[in-house]
Amino acid sequence: MEDAVTQLRNAVINYEMETIADLAQKALKEGVNPLEAIEKGLAEGIKIVGEKFGRGEIFLPELVMGAEAMKAALAVLEPAVPAGQHRASAGKVVIGTVQDDIHEIGKNLVSTMLSSNGFEVIDLGVNVPSADFVKKAEETKPRIVAMSALMTTTMPRMADVIGPMKQKNLGVKALVGGAPVTDTYAREIGAEGYSGDASSAGEVAKRLVG
Amino acid sequence: MAYGIKRGIRFQILSDEDLDRIHWSTLHILEKIGVQVDSPACRKLLKDNGCEVDERSRVAKIPSYLVEEALLKKKGAITLAGRNPKYDAKLDLNHSHMTANGNGAVAVDFETGERRGSTKKDVANSSRIIDALENVHIHWPMVSSTDQHPSVVHLHDLDASLNNTEKHIMYETGVTLSDAKHLTEMGYIAAGGEKEYRQRPITSCLQCTYAPLQHDAGVMDASMYFAKAGVPLVFFGMPQPGATGPATLVGSLAVGNAEVLSALTMIQLDTPGASIIYGMGNAPLDMRTTVRSGGSPEHAISSAMATELAHYYGMPSCVGVSATAKVPGDQSVLEYYTGCVGPLLAGADLMCGVGLLEDSSCLHYEEIVMDNEIVGAIARLIRGEWADEDTLALDVIEKVGVGKNFLAQRHTVDHLKSEHFRPTLIDRRSYDAWSQTGSKTLRDAARDRVKKILAEHKVTPMPADRQKGLEEVIEKAKKPMWGGESKVQ
Repeated sequence: MEDAVTQLRNAVINYEMETIADLAQKALKEGVNPLEAIEKGLAEGIKIVGEKFGRGEIFLPELVMGAEAMKAALAVLEPAVPAGQHRASAGKVVIGTVQDDIHEIGKNLVSTMLSSNGFEVIDLGVNVPSADFVKKAEETKPRIVAMSALMTTTMPRMADVIGPMKQKNLGVKALVGGAPVTDTYAREIGAEGYSGDASSAGEVAKRLVG
Repeated sequence: MAYGIKRGIRFQILSDEDLDRIHWSTLHILEKIGVQVDSPACRKLLKDNGCEVDERSRVAKIPSYLVEEALLKKKGAITLAGRNPKYDAKLDLNHSHMTANGNGAVAVDFETGERRGSTKKDVANSSRIIDALENVHIHWPMVSSTDQHPSVVHLHDLDASLNNTEKHIMYETGVTLSDAKHLTEMGYIAAGGEKEYRQRPITSCLQCTYAPLQHDAGVMDASMYFAKAGVPLVFFGMPQPGATGPATLVGSLAVGNAEVLSALTMIQLDTPGASIIYGMGNAPLDMRTTVRSGGSPEHAISSAMATELAHYYGMPSCVGVSATAKVPGDQSVLEYYTGCVGPLLAGADLMCGVGLLEDSSCLHYEEIVMDNEIVGAIARLIRGEWADEDTLALDVIEKVGVGKNFLAQRHTVDHLKSEHFRPTLIDRRSYDAWSQTGSKTLRDAARDRVKKILAEHKVTPMPADRQKGLEEVIEKAKKPMWGGESKVQ
């Protein structure tokens, strides 16, 4: 019989998003350390799923299902983590789609890629006012602020976030992307990272914090 | 002779029963699931007209009768006028029109080959190329003037386009009320006044809905303004099968249809009789690369089915084609051909559009003329054939008799132009002749044609006072922006 941590890990690997929450409850009842369940169970599981995607063995819907399974279990395990303790991760990332832009899926896919690469993702959603990015960055002190813009009309909003962050010396790196965004444009507005598609975003983020 | 590609044949993919089913399912979606409407003005409009509107979720449920009424109010025949009337595109459901693609932000420099941010010069050059091409009928600002002040980039796009082509210009950058006002004003100025513009609108705006089932506030507020101002609109759904729509193409068509019909309903409630074109571009998300599969067979067949649905409603269609290729060549031709031939065989009224790669992101000058060639070949495919006295040519067959040839017959000369597609880039010469003149690829030939157009093609300029008027609108519209202040000294 597998131990609870291994069961959680396998549940992520097998995309058991409908039943994994029960498994997490059961683990807590059995007295499993929630931090260990997250780090050695869920994070290990999603890492393996991410690697399989990277090797082309599975497709995007499977990766997203793995991430959903992880999310469902995190919702149970995270509140049980004792105050003052925090799970180890590759780093915190604040992510969102810029103001006046409600395109969501690209941003969500990048979130998935980042989680599967071990990052802790704080998702601000879509149509996020520039000031909110800056405020959240000040509050949560992430390593990276990631922004998505899908229209040439909303792309300049990214500069509206990067400018004030640099002025305030937040020490946060900016990662930008979205259909009209290019590496040249990213450099021009002072973003440290750029990804041309969601699937490479994890690698870029790792480079930024490495 | 009418402008555009005459259509004489039509593929049928969906049966009448299929179309009925999609229609009823769409009404079900709108009535039971609803659409998210971010514009408070549009929510009020819907509520005042009997829709159930939840202010917290911003979801409006639209009863079927409102949609059916809106479909009755819409305008059937729409003409997208050119600055020069010879380019007036009459969307009469019997002709297809090819448009340029837009609105990328990157271009490959024609001289240096460098892939860089696009400039106003790129917009001007590509406009002039579109003006010269025989198989592209409607222009779009193909890329963005990213070298201009960021608050007015897209006004510069329209300025450069109006000054460099006499063809109708469709833009997709009217996404806020203030954008809409400035773009409309520029259209009025270029047409010589509001009255002239309303009679012959020389610009139009394509508006994207947001899959699944959402309407952006800025886009809808702008659309209401455009409709009142007499600017023709395209509502363009683009669910990505498998990602922002069901993996099944018909399922995604129903989602996109719900978006387009709800936008149509709002506009027809606000401005009855507004000119609205039915748009759709459903390309699946590639599940390995997370890139949208523009130019895939699924994109093509979705555009073809959307055209059938538009015609079922008596509306002209505007459907998408693009390519994920990174350079003009084998892959771009395969993707553009696949993407164009499906919808055009099914009778697409507007196909948008040619010349951009990386799924409508990056301008390659050569690709514009390569795609022009593709459309030329397809135009021949869809023209239609018929057997009458003239085409059967029994008298000529009798005259020539057995064992001779038809070369020196007047009938041959008379029909050559209309019967046989004459390529501008495809090289049919023998190997020897081809290799003796440099063994040029299709892309090389395209490059030569671009060079020739840029060197020789002249566009009749707009009157000087109109040119000046456009510049004044841009100057007035400029406003401070972070990126702008750091970029413009």
